[in-house]
Formats: sequence, structure tokens, C-alpha cells
Amino acid sequence: MPHSSTHFVPPLWQPQTVWWPPKPGAGLTICPALLRIIELLPRLCGAMMKKAVEVILLLLLFFTPHTMGKRVSPPGKPALTRCRSPEKETFTCWWEPGSDGGLPTTHALYYRKESSERVYECPDYHTAGENSCFFNKNDTSIWVNYNITVVATNALGSNFSDPVDVDVVYIVKPNPPEKQTVTVMEDKGWPFLRVSWEPPQKADTRSGWITLIYELRVKLEEENEWEMHLAGHQKTFNIFSVRSGGKYLVEVRCKPDHGFWSEWSSTSYIKVPDYFHREKSVWILLTIFSAFIFLILTWLLHMNSRSLKNCILPPVPGPKIKGFDKQLLKNGKSDEIFSALMVSNFPPTTSSNYEDLLVEYLEVYVPVEQELMQEESKDLHGGSLKCERSTSDSDSGRGSCDSHTLLMDKCGEAKKEGRHTDRESSRRLTEAQRHQKGWEEDTLTYAHGDMVSPDMSNGRVKTWPSVFSPLPRYSSNPLDKQSSLEMAKQHCLSQPGHSTKEALGPSNWDLCLGNKQPHLLHPQTQVGWQLQAHSEVNISNIGRKQAPAGLQSPALRSTEYVEVQRVNKEDLVLLQPVVSGCGRIEGYPQKPKEKDYSKVKGVDSDNMLLLQREVMEEDWCPGVNQEINGVTGNCYTSSTVSPTHKPTACIHTAIPVQADMALAMNGYVDTATMCTMPTC
Amino acid sequence: MAHRKTNGSKIFMTVLFMVAACRAVAINDLLDRASERSDILHSLSTTLSHDLDSQFPPIGRVIMPRPSMCHTASLQTPIDKYQALQVSESDLLSLARSLLQAWEDPLVVLSTSANTLPHPAQSSISNKIQELQEHSKNLGDGLDILSGKMGPAAQTIASLPYRGGNDIGEDRISKLINFNFLLSCFRRDSHKIDSFLKILRCRAAKMQPEMC
Repeated sequence: MPHSSTHFVPPLWQPQTVWWPPKPGAGLTICPALLRIIELLPRLCGAMMKKAVEVILLLLLFFTPHTMGKRVSPPGKPALTRCRSPEKETFTCWWEPGSDGGLPTTHALYYRKESSERVYECPDYHTAGENSCFFNKNDTSIWVNYNITVVATNALGSNFSDPVDVDVVYIVKPNPPEKQTVTVMEDKGWPFLRVSWEPPQKADTRSGWITLIYELRVKLEEENEWEMHLAGHQKTFNIFSVRSGGKYLVEVRCKPDHGFWSEWSSTSYIKVPDYFHREKSVWILLTIFSAFIFLILTWLLHMNSRSLKNCILPPVPGPKIKGFDKQLLKNGKSDEIFSALMVSNFPPTTSSNYEDLLVEYLEVYVPVEQELMQEESKDLHGGSLKCERSTSDSDSGRGSCDSHTLLMDKCGEAKKEGRHTDRESSRRLTEAQRHQKGWEEDTLTYAHGDMVSPDMSNGRVKTWPSVFSPLPRYSSNPLDKQSSLEMAKQHCLSQPGHSTKEALGPSNWDLCLGNKQPHLLHPQTQVGWQLQAHSEVNISNIGRKQAPAGLQSPALRSTEYVEVQRVNKEDLVLLQPVVSGCGRIEGYPQKPKEKDYSKVKGVDSDNMLLLQREVMEEDWCPGVNQEINGVTGNCYTSSTVSPTHKPTACIHTAIPVQADMALAMNGYVDTATMCTMPTC
Repeated sequence: MAHRKTNGSKIFMTVLFMVAACRAVAINDLLDRASERSDILHSLSTTLSHDLDSQFPPIGRVIMPRPSMCHTASLQTPIDKYQALQVSESDLLSLARSLLQAWEDPLVVLSTSANTLPHPAQSSISNKIQELQEHSKNLGDGLDILSGKMGPAAQTIASLPYRGGNDIGEDRISKLINFNFLLSCFRRDSHKIDSFLKILRCRAAKMQPEMC
């Protein structure tokens, strides 16, 4: 905000110069009057009178100060406080008088325009009030510096104020705006205030002499702070931030473009009517809406309470231990609890449980020979692999492989299923049969290959599993715990001892050559096992005839692959065992699902089946028969194994062998079922 | 032939009307802009004066030259409202242009002096002087355009040469004093220019009384 230019130009004229006329009637003081009287006294009276007058004068002089009360002095220095022009056409200056010095003091204002030396006195002391000087239009010039001084004069002297330079254009302070009106108006249901005003009357804005900008302020009646709004050049303004039912105060002021702000106009009061009902309706609507949403949410929660409960508070799983009784636990009797936990038939010790652990049984039966061959031929030509149905039903509970219509895959699955627990089968024999059948599938596959190319002594044979059916039955012969194929091998060779050794290699085959075996084998060799040029090996026939009525638990579940080595003169396929997987020996006897193969080392004097735990698995791939011994290298003897064969140091396990079982022919025993071998 | 002539005259009238219409609008707008710029000019000079005065020792004011010694004092300008409102638009514009023109050189002097001014706020003063020059030049260009639209009388520019020279003083005190003096002269002249232009603006804006 610009102040008046008050750069003090030094007075080039001295106040003591003659130009300013002293005020008449400045007031004589008492002392000079007394002195006057004293001068005149000697003329009036004689010497005596003179003395009396002197006394009186002295007394007067003595009392005069008391009656006066204070000292008199020249007036204090006045000061020009401000000069203002409301419209840039006139202006007024105000001063502040100093101390009057105890005497009546008069003040005078003198001014000088910048371009002349002439001194003027204030033309009007009264219009603007006390201690003021008003310059009217005629005396006012713009863009001209006024040098103004105020003089205070009393009887004793006078005092000059500091001169002040004033340019009218810099001291403009307009009057407040006039004709201010405030009205309440409505905009889409919401109230607002419209304030309008007029510029001050004196200010000539129409001609452009003065350009004004406006500002207004608003506040609620009970508030302390004003809300300011700058309105610019416009003469109306809208205030939107009003509260319904509130009482507002509005004031306006203005300012020229290069001047001072005017005073605030007189306050306008306005009361905004109540728009409460509109606001209320909004609240009601909101309440209803939120209640509605709340109801919906509650309903949803109720509907999904269960799932939510599961989500938030998942049920604690209870114990599912067989034989676990919660009540016992709650009762707190630990002995009973733990006794209940103990399963009586674990670990399996009896044969019945043992049989349950078998994967599956293969039902083996040997049909009529001709029928079988026909079927075999049929199957052979058809190329489809079927499991042959056994006509004899001496053994019920046939497995799935018995069906004619089953394909190879199914049989293969049966073989695989053999590895899984099939406890639902009521017939242990069936399981064993099935398993052995599956095993034989592989063996026969090898057998066939040799048929096709008899030159390949070690070729793999592909065959059809239709031939399988007879075999398992045979293998379930109480004589053996071996696969039928191995027996078949024996049959094939039909000669105990060396031939077997040559063809089949490992000593496990030697085991086949039990005392009893040859008896069994021999006749069966004649019976069924004939090589046909076009057909697969009727391995199944071998075991069929001699199949005993009752099938014992086969226990053996080996799924060993057999390789056809050669065909001998008698059209017998010489097979040899092949461990294709090189890891067929697996697992531990404790796991019934896995196949545990252990080579039977022999049977000792106590009828203990001596097994050897395989050490090397990875490298133990079948090679030449003779090599197998070398590969394994341990604990195998190529000599015939007799019941009285003594176990070597490598034998790890000794299994009690039952009386009717002489030896495991192939040397592989399922250690998992070891203990429960009935015919062991 | 007659057909072509009427067409040509029509086109001519259209163009003339458009020019006239454009001209009318343009002057109003030009004046508005010019007055805005002059307003800024004066505000800047006022701020500068205050900056200088704040640091000015009181003693320095004693020997300040009088404003009547400004180099533009010779130009006759209205001294009150009555006189001012009687001046024609062209004369008003001419006065404004003359004053503005008269300050072209002194502003350069001020600018150079500001660089070496022995004042605490020297840098801000120097910046503001540069702004003054810029605004002054812009305003001058605008007024030149305006004068072209307002007739030949507006074209006359009184010559008010500045004879102060480039040097504003030897010692520190005289430098400050002279600088202040020049600035005060400029402040007054800028106010004159601003007033004249605003009078002109109001006169031209008869269609828009709210402008004034």
C-alpha cells in the first residue's frame, strides 16, 4: 500500500524570514504589563508611593506564579499526520498539534507548490474538522508536489512542523462503497448470497478518472473471523458458502488502482432462511438406503454362514487312528487308550494277514489242451491280446484277466495292479494267480520272440498272455514258490543240472532243481509244453496239468522277465531270467506293496530258507548266463543247490522253510511274504 | 460488366465493414492491454521507490533535487481532472507516447547505474529496472499500433531529451540521490501515462460501461 511520498525536501526558505506574518493577538503576558506599570509608577507618586508600589509589585510577582499554576512556553512542534484525497480532486491534511505551551495556541498550515515560491495558507480549516486543512478543487493540482508545513503559534512563540511533500495522486483513499445490498438467492435448491454495491459517489469512475477494485467480507454473526472475497472491478458478488438458517454480516470496501483501501462500508445483515427440510430428506434417503444394504448383507451372511464359518473357523481335524477311542482319551485312562491303539494283527505274523497284503492273486487254470491251442492260435493271428477264460472253475474268484474279452492292456494293468494292494479279493490264490499271470505276460513276450527268429538265441520273445492262464495254477503248486515261468524253464530244459545252468544261468534256477521238481516237471513237460512254430510257448500248459486243487498262497510275486535263449531239439524254449529293470529287487519286506526280491541262497539243515539281500542293483543287468554270477559276484554259487547247501557269509536273512517246500526254484523270494509262507 | 461491378462493390463494402468492425473491437482491446501494462509499469516503479527509500539515510533527502527539475517537466500535461477530461483522445495518446519515449534513454542509464549502485538491495533493484525497461518497450510498441488507428494527431511525439548523461554521480551519496531522483521522476510520468490510458479506455468502452 503506497504511502504518501514523504521525502522531505529541505525548506529552501527559512522560517525566520519575514514572509510569514505573525498572528495578531498572540497574547501579552502579565509580566510585561507589570513592567509597564512599574515604569509608569514614578510619575504618579512620590518616593513613598514608589516604595509601596514596589512592595505590592513584589508581592504580585511572588504570587503570580502560584496563580498562574505553570510555566508558559512556546508551543510544541506540530506534526502533519496525514493527507488524503478521496477522489483525486480534493484533499485534506490533518496535523497533530504539539503541546500548546500553556497558552492558547493557534495553528496554521502553509503550503507551497513545487514550481513556484509563493506560499499559500490553508484555505479551509473547518470543513474537515479540527486540526485539518481542506483543499478544494480549485486549490488542488495533481502531479504537483505540495510542500506543506504547519505552524503552531502562541504568545511566546511559534513552532514549525516538519515539511511534508505531497502529491495528490499518491494519497488517494476513496470513500467506502455505497448502496450496498445483500439478497438471498437460490441455485438449484441451494441458497447463496448476492451482494451488490455502488462505487462511492464522489469517485468518478465513469470517466475513467479513478479505477476502483472492490473487496468484501462475510461472516456469521456468532463467528469472529471474516471471510474475504476479492471482487475485482465488478460491482456484484455471489457467496455460495452459506449455511441455511444462518445470519450473516457483509461489508464491502474499495481501492483505487494506485491508492489506499477505503474503510469498510456499513454492515449489511442478512438471514438465510431454513432449508432444513431439504437436507433432512437427503438424510432420510441415506438412512433407508444404508438400512437396505445392511439387510441384504445380513441375509447374505446368513445364507453363507456355514461356508463362512468354515472359512474363518476351519474345523479342527479329529484323530483318525484305527482303534482310537475318543471316549477313552476323555476318560483319561492311558493304558486303555494305548492298548486300544495296538492293532492285534500288526505287524502281520499270520498267513491270513499276510495274504491280505498280497497285491493280487492270479487265478491260473489250465484249460483243455486243444481248446487252449486253438485259442492261442486264434489269438495269435488276431494279434490282440486276450486273457483266456478258464473253463474249469475249480478255483473260483477269477481275476479280471480271466475274461476272454480283456485286452492286453488290462492284463498289463492287472500285472501292475498286482503291485497295488488288492485286499478286497477274498481269494488269496486268486491274487497270486493274477499276479503271476501278469508276470508271465512279460515272460511269454520274450518267449515268442524267439519263435519268430529262432536264430536269435537271446532275442526277446513276444507272446500273448492267453497262454498265461494255465501257468499260474501250476506255479501255485505247493512245490514251489517261484514263478511258473521259471518252472517252465525248468521244464523246458527238462533236465536238472547242467543244462539248466547253461541256459538259465544263475544259480537261482538251480534251485528249481529240487528233488521233487523233476518229478513234477517231467510229466508236465510232456503234457503241455510244446513249441509251435506259429504259436507261443505253451508255457501255461506245463503247469496246468499238475496243478493241484488247492492253491496255496503263492507268495512269490516276482515279475521277472525271461529271455529266450534258445530252442532245443525237443522244441523247448530255453529261457533265462532277465532282469530288465535292473532294479527289480526293491523295497523292504516290511512294505507289502513293493516287490521284495531276495535271492534264495539255499535251504539249510533246519529247513531255513537262506536269502541273500541284493547289494548291487544298478549294474546288475542280465548278460550272459555265466556272467551274471560274475556281475553279482557275491554269494552266488553256480553249483547245484541242495537242500543241504550251506549258506555263505553273505546271506543276510534266514527264513524258516517249511517242510513241504524244499527250495525256491528261482531263488527269488518275496521277502515281504516271507514269514507267512505257508509252504515255505 | 455491370454485374461484375456490383459484385466488386459488394466485396469492397464487405471488406470495409469487416475492417471497420475489426478496428472497433481492436482499439478497445488494445487500450485495455495498454492500460494493464502501464499499470504494471507504475506499480513497479512505486515498489522500487519504496525499496530505495527504506535504506535511504534521512540526511540524503535533504539535498534531493526538486521534481520540477525532471527532464519531462517541460511537457504540458493537465493538472487536474477538469483539464484532463477535456483533452482529446489523440492528444492523450500523444502525451502518453511522448512521455514513454522520453524515458527510453534514461532507463538505460538507470539500468547501468543499478549494476553499481551502492545499495543493500542492489540486485533486486537491478532486476526491477530491467523489468521496467521490458514493460516500457512493450507498451511503446502497443501505443505505436494504437496511434496508427487513432488518427494523425496521435502520431506527434514531443521530444523530451534527457540531458543527464550516463553518469549519475561520483560518490556514493550523490549516486544514491540522483538515482532516487530519476526514479521519482519516472514514477510520476508512469502514473501520468497510466491515467491517460485509463481515461482513453473508458472513453472507448462505451459499449461496456462495466469496464470503468
